[in-house]
Amino acid sequence: MRLVAIGFMALLITACGSSKKPDEKAFLESLDSAKTGPTIDEEVISSILQQIPSPLEISVLLKESGTKYNPAILNTSESLSKYNSNYKKALNLGVYGTDLGYTNIYEQNQDGLKYLTSIKSLADGLNIGQFFDIETIGRLATNSKNLDSLLLITTQNFNSINHYLQTQSRANLSVLLLIGGWVEAMQITCQVAAKDPKNKELQEKIGEQKIILEQIVLLLSFYKDDANMASLLKDMEELKGAFDKINITYTYKESTMEIVDGVAVIKDNSTTTINITDQDVEAIRNLTNSIRNKIIS
Amino acid sequence: MKKVLSILTIISLISVSTIDLNGQCNPDNFANACIPKLASGFNFLKSYKVDGEGGAKDKVEYSYVFTKGTRYMINLCANGAATDGIVVTLFDSGRNKVATSKINGQFISAIAYPCNATGIYYIQYTFDGSAGKCGGSALGFKR
Repeated sequence: MRLVAIGFMALLITACGSSKKPDEKAFLESLDSAKTGPTIDEEVISSILQQIPSPLEISVLLKESGTKYNPAILNTSESLSKYNSNYKKALNLGVYGTDLGYTNIYEQNQDGLKYLTSIKSLADGLNIGQFFDIETIGRLATNSKNLDSLLLITTQNFNSINHYLQTQSRANLSVLLLIGGWVEAMQITCQVAAKDPKNKELQEKIGEQKIILEQIVLLLSFYKDDANMASLLKDMEELKGAFDKINITYTYKESTMEIVDGVAVIKDNSTTTINITDQDVEAIRNLTNSIRNKIIS
Repeated sequence: MKKVLSILTIISLISVSTIDLNGQCNPDNFANACIPKLASGFNFLKSYKVDGEGGAKDKVEYSYVFTKGTRYMINLCANGAATDGIVVTLFDSGRNKVATSKINGQFISAIAYPCNATGIYYIQYTFDGSAGKCGGSALGFKR
């Protein structure tokens, strides 16, 4: 019977032992930001984080509206050496993620490869480099016919990083990564809007970010015991002040549906109206630029 | 000794099959399988696990900010070709129903949603006569 017990234990040990990640210890030891945990259940934080839309949506909008590719509005991939703390690394991993998405959408593969190298370096610095498949992405980036696969694998890699950080109870880094990505997407949109002030769709796109900023401010408020996070929260609250002047009116009207080729195609009859002035856009652009400069400096 | 080995083998098999039974729902596999099934032209955004935990959960819910002017697609994958009774329903921030994949009693495996109103939306998965209560889903977008 003792043999049976030993055999059973051995089986359990084998079954359980394989799930431990080898780099987990190094990862946890490497953290230097927000050592004080959040004051709220991390599941709540994860559920808010997953709401934040992908910056890729903005890049697609810009390209499809005819806006020309402009690398000057991106953060240079050579700024990497400036990002020494994990706080800065996580924020700029998000920034570079948005920049990579922008270069990918515009099929600027040479620029994309530079961002890819910087992203890999930052991810390695945060001990999450194993989720970034640089070889596959690099190979896909050499041929513009691979755009769909390139976008897919890049998105999957960032999703895996976020998921991993949240399951490791280090959602603070995931929050920073998403904020960095959002601020960069905002900055790109604001710069493009400044050159095309009559583009009402872009103005509305800026205005509707009010909904996302409210979630970002909420997320940061959970970490206000950390000095870096508190400082970022202060900046975001100031930006929120500018957004508070924007009025978003939502009108619900029941939608209709029909089945087309096995897909339920919805006709959305609800609407949102976004009231935003040129002055609002300018105030938001100035504040966004200031926050973004702090992040990338 | 033979008896001991036989018992050990039986216990091992029971243990392994329990692990299999516990791990029977592998929503990650279904979620990953759903990604290439997004219609052409849609860019992948998120994959969602739909695990009813053997009946312990009657719904699984996620949320996402959908934006005006963007077309979204949400699809479903489960055991077999059909959706195995898994229904996806979309609610706006005021919990008004915007879309569902069960239309006139028919289970549809994908929803195409051209968003006309920016806001937080709830993507809710329920089990309507589902045998496995296990599946996955993917969200994509295009302009």
